Amino acid sequence: MAEKFDNLEEHLEKFVENIRQMGIIVSDFQPSSQTGLNQKLNYMITGLQDIEKCRQQLHEINIPLEAFEYIDQGRNPQLYTKECLERALAKNEQVKGKIDTMTKFKSLLISELGKVFPEEMTKYKAIHGDDPPS
Amino acid sequence: MTEMFSTLYGQNEAQGPPGSSSLGFGPGKPPPPLQPNQVTMAAQMPPQHGDEGPALRKPGAMNEPFYLLRELPVGNELTGNTNLITHYNLEHAYNKFCGKKVKEKLSNFLPELPGMIDCPGTQDGSSLRSLIEKPPVCGNSFSPLTGASLTGFRLHTGPLPEQYRLMHIQPPKKKSKNKHKHHRPQDPIPQGNTHTHTQIQTHHHPTSFETVPCVFTENPSDSDPKKKKKKRDDDPDRKKKKKDKKKKKVRLLC
Repeated sequence: MAEKFDNLEEHLEKFVENIRQMGIIVSDFQPSSQTGLNQKLNYMITGLQDIEKCRQQLHEINIPLEAFEYIDQGRNPQLYTKECLERALAKNEQVKGKIDTMTKFKSLLISELGKVFPEEMTKYKAIHGDDPPS
Repeated sequence: MTEMFSTLYGQNEAQGPPGSSSLGFGPGKPPPPLQPNQVTMAAQMPPQHGDEGPALRKPGAMNEPFYLLRELPVGNELTGNTNLITHYNLEHAYNKFCGKKVKEKLSNFLPELPGMIDCPGTQDGSSLRSLIEKPPVCGNSFSPLTGASLTGFRLHTGPLPEQYRLMHIQPPKKKSKNKHKHHRPQDPIPQGNTHTHTQIQTHHHPTSFETVPCVFTENPSDSDPKKKKKKRDDDPDRKKKKKDKKKKKVRLLC
């Protein structure tokens, strides 16, 4: 899995470097630079071909669109991962609090109902079994 | 458990007397008057029970007096009660992203990428969102350019117009805070910067049309700390000399 990403990353870096060098050539063009430019153009096309080949290996990879928004804003996409983890932890803690509260409520309710309706609660416990201690 | 109680209380309100008497809530008390909503609910209840009749009748008959008692749902082992980050072995990732400070800019994530990448993509039309909304034409194969097609790439000599020159310039990199590092003058020049600075530093000879690119070493601040170091080195020496002079004066006076 990581090899596929490394392969794509390598091709992309070479492609970007090639484009950058083309930009330098073009920014102050000289007649002697024409052959170099033509060579770079063909390198660009082969680079695109290599990237196209990498696409077939990565067609199962799904990327959340929210990460794209971070990139479009010029922000580090690792911040998206960080915020996802923080949100997950916060939600986990929230749900755990709810579960703990409901468990305590259940045990308290059963104990109080047992005081008010002892016979019914013994029948209920016989049907449902003894509730685990909260 | 909560579902059971909610169904019990909910259906008791709809059914009225039969439900309340089965649970033993004041059998001697008169039943509360049914409201129109409850009447319609009570009218609707039997058909619903009729639809689920076989499934509900057996438990109701077995679990007297709890006729509406349903079996508890199968407990899911994985709930919010467990720490999901440790469950999915994400502790390392959590410490990596949340333990340390993650830098804000995109250039910190992609330091080797040339150009101004910290600017929003909407400004120069390079946003990924636009690429998703309007995907380019795909499917055609990439074929190398032939001699005839390369004629379209014959360019005029000379520099680019000013409006296109700034596209490849990188944003200024922050200087390191540790100015006392001795390896600063020996820092290798990043590969990306040599060419950009050659672009800035080209000299045009008046007699020929050829440009001579010169390498611009990115060490403008190296001379300053050296000078500062020299000054700092000089200062304690000066202070020592001053102290010695004072001591000599004091001895002479004595």
